[in-house]
Amino acid sequence: VRPAPPRLSVWLLRRVLPPGDAGAAVLGDLLEELDASGNTRAARRRFVRHACSVAVRYAVRRAPQPRPAETAHGESMAFDALRQDLRFAVRGIVKRPSFAAMVLATLALGIGASTAIFSITNAILLRPLPYVHADRLVYVSETNKGVRASFGYPNYVDYRDRAQSFDGLACHSGTSFTVLGESPQRVDGRLVCWNFFNILGVQPQLGRLFTSADDQPGAPAVALISERLWRQQFGGDPSIIGRTLRTNEQNLTIVGVLPGNFRFSRVEDVFAPLALTITPNSGWLDRGNHFGLYAIGRLKPGVTVQQAQAEADHVFADLKRAYPNTNSTNGGRVVLLRDRIVETIRDTLIALMAAVGFLLLLACVNVANLLVARGAARQHELAVRTALGGTRWRLVRQLLVESTCLSAAGAALGVLVAFWLLQLLIALAPPDVPRIHEVSLDRMSLAFAVAAAALCGLVFGSFPAFQASSGGRLHLLARASRTSSVTPHRTRRALMTVEVALALVLLAGCGLMARTIAGLHAVNPGFRSDHLLTARFSLGGPAWTTEKRLAFFDALLPKLNALPGVTRAALTYSLPIEGSQWGSIFTVSDKPVPPRDQLPAAAFCPIAANYFDTMGIRTLRGRTFDSRDLDASPKVILVNSTLARRIWPGEDAIGKRLKQGWPEGDGPWREVVGIVADVKLEGVDRDVPMQVFMPIAQETPRSVAIVARTSVEPMQVVRDIEAAVQSLNHDVPLTNVQPMTALMSDAIARQRLSLIVLAVFAVVAVLVAAVGLYGVVAHSVTERTREIGVRMALGAEGRQVLGLFVRQGLVTAAAGTVIGLGGAAAVTRVLEKLLFGVKPSDPATLGSVAALILVVAAIACYIPARRAARIDPLLALRAE
Amino acid sequence: MAVRAPLGELEHLVLLAILRLGSAAYGVSIARELEREAGRALSRGALYSTLDRLEIKGLLRWKSEPGGSERRGLPRRLYYVSARGLAAVRASQRILNRMWRGLEDVLKEPS
Repeated sequence: VRPAPPRLSVWLLRRVLPPGDAGAAVLGDLLEELDASGNTRAARRRFVRHACSVAVRYAVRRAPQPRPAETAHGESMAFDALRQDLRFAVRGIVKRPSFAAMVLATLALGIGASTAIFSITNAILLRPLPYVHADRLVYVSETNKGVRASFGYPNYVDYRDRAQSFDGLACHSGTSFTVLGESPQRVDGRLVCWNFFNILGVQPQLGRLFTSADDQPGAPAVALISERLWRQQFGGDPSIIGRTLRTNEQNLTIVGVLPGNFRFSRVEDVFAPLALTITPNSGWLDRGNHFGLYAIGRLKPGVTVQQAQAEADHVFADLKRAYPNTNSTNGGRVVLLRDRIVETIRDTLIALMAAVGFLLLLACVNVANLLVARGAARQHELAVRTALGGTRWRLVRQLLVESTCLSAAGAALGVLVAFWLLQLLIALAPPDVPRIHEVSLDRMSLAFAVAAAALCGLVFGSFPAFQASSGGRLHLLARASRTSSVTPHRTRRALMTVEVALALVLLAGCGLMARTIAGLHAVNPGFRSDHLLTARFSLGGPAWTTEKRLAFFDALLPKLNALPGVTRAALTYSLPIEGSQWGSIFTVSDKPVPPRDQLPAAAFCPIAANYFDTMGIRTLRGRTFDSRDLDASPKVILVNSTLARRIWPGEDAIGKRLKQGWPEGDGPWREVVGIVADVKLEGVDRDVPMQVFMPIAQETPRSVAIVARTSVEPMQVVRDIEAAVQSLNHDVPLTNVQPMTALMSDAIARQRLSLIVLAVFAVVAVLVAAVGLYGVVAHSVTERTREIGVRMALGAEGRQVLGLFVRQGLVTAAAGTVIGLGGAAAVTRVLEKLLFGVKPSDPATLGSVAALILVVAAIACYIPARRAARIDPLLALRAE
Repeated sequence: MAVRAPLGELEHLVLLAILRLGSAAYGVSIARELEREAGRALSRGALYSTLDRLEIKGLLRWKSEPGGSERRGLPRRLYYVSARGLAAVRASQRILNRMWRGLEDVLKEPS
């Protein structure tokens, strides 16, 4: 069996060869030759080369050849000349395939990477939100001590009634629903003011939006659902309007279906009026309660965000005077909705955009470098053409057409690279990146790729073009080829310096991110994260009274603990790393009550008895909870060591008492019975807050997380856990099922993404710089062969020649390193917000990347220099 | 009939190669002949575009012949020099001969 001929070449030939016998005969000839020469590797290479040359000839010939008979003479001349330039350029490029390949690879990487990152940045940061007049949409919240906080409902109502800046203001609060059916599912949703969708300018694809009548206390419970839920739960039934959506909390009448592309900050399936939840006894009407309520507003035309902010400051100053008990530290904040939505990813994107800018610049410089080298090699050709009457403009144009051809091809390849890279980046992106579903290679991305290519082709192509075509020509013609002109060398070395500097900046960024990731991994979270499964469930709705919930928990825990593969299991309200579900101020019994704006706050967390054993959290003093701690028994709590240290410095916290809430509140006093070790609560990179744990029997939440320590891979026990939960109640679905390790890795996903991208960029940059340096030194060795011969004939040793060239390359690299260090110190500041445990100008990191660059540079110089040292002086002199 | 444009060097060589090969002139053999006798390693792109150009000028003709398994069943084009082609080769040769005249002393190979 004969091996198949190179497939790509055959495909190419079939595309360009004329149809019928004429083309078939050419292909036949090539195949016959391939087989006749034994299908060796050399033969296959020859086949590919011949195929390319045939393809180029036929592709150029088959292009229509316009004969502009009607156009003015001058125009047709110019057109002919341009076509000639083009043909000449293609021929010139094909003649030196390795040169073309190097240029194209550099351009494809530079343009591809920058186009991919630009596409992401454009879709997330630059493109307007997919709402009507998105530039007038704002996000309004309260602040507490300058930090964003949710509205107290009465504060919101007062603000809404007084604010004049808006055409409309609507509050909303993220929540979730258990949709009942054959297989109940927990879906995210949002409780909204009736005009929420009107403000966004969203129209339903079916039915109607909410009206103000829906949003009155006691109104029939209605809902809008997403297209996804409509298709999945109701099979896309067009007669859905008026049907009932059964949820754990309440039955809702469906009044409309939202369009498929609608999304507000996250994927949500059920929207219901806020009036459902704001009932007299719910706590919503208490001004001091902040239950996750935020607002969106549409600014009146002509009103700026600053004006709206000034108004909010004014209103909240009034509220502070009117309600000093609850509003002493509160203010209002108005920001553009777009800025709010992208704020989690903004710093990452800006950092990546900066990095990719450097990569593109490096690609340009490298291409310029290659073109200068090429120009130096072609000086003789250009000299001949000048002598034969070619004008300088004509020569420059020829070189420009060549570099434009190269960059056009580079752009085409770059778009391919961008396409792949974009898929990869979207797959790697942290799960909560806003607007990531809007990212695509669109017209703007293509325009960007073309612009980047034009920049490379024109700016950096013209530089070597003028350089190569300047100066007198005749002396070049006369000159023997044994010496070389100095100018291109100087230019190349200057360009190399810039390349090394750019590579160093990228490498420094990568180094800082690597230190950050290492730092984050080294953080001791305070618990054992391996072999730990987490899953949430929720017992919502009026049917789940406190007693029923507690009975459910009590029945569930023994079942979980008895499962094969599970060594221990417990329940908790908040999970470490994922963050607190309940932050509250508290009052201490044995200390003077501080002013209201200095009341301490802690993360409160009800847990089941063996939580600390399951998590592997150490008990420092006292006891943990046990079967004694029932609803009716004395109220007890555990505190973390941060709280004990901060509230009772130098004292024993055991036996002290505190109560959750305001000093005048009527909550029970709870006694500290133990102190536990600190655990990272809000992500890995934030300080541990003060934390209070209470027995689940004394404070029974509706939503809890299961934590299960397993002896097998955590995900293997999911089915059993789900079965255990649903054996008690079919309508309780599990959500957020994941190993603790996944939760922790999501928490540092932003930094990891930056590290991966920067690492790839840095490796490419260092490689490109190393190859460039190699090229410069190798070129200079070739040109100075005769000089080396003379030196060695006169007694220079190989070692000295080697040193000469390595030194020459290293001086270039060292200059680049120094400039790069300065640049890195200046620009790594864009990374500042992503860094953890390391400063942007960290000397250890900068020092080691500088050392790394110099080592790579030394190797890149050593290889060609060794060749110089091995030159036989006799051969070198005779070569002339 | 007078040939308007004189033959290019490569065209000249290709026509000569076809004449030398007789009835066995096709792409592969022409390329081999040129390489062996004229020392010219042609890119196939250059070879086929020369052949096409000569055909357009009416200097050569061809006929198709079914190919065997060595070319995977693809047809083979056998080239013949046309009468005009022969005239063109002769004309070029005449020009070269005229230009030689009187230079025998200068150009003769050292033996």
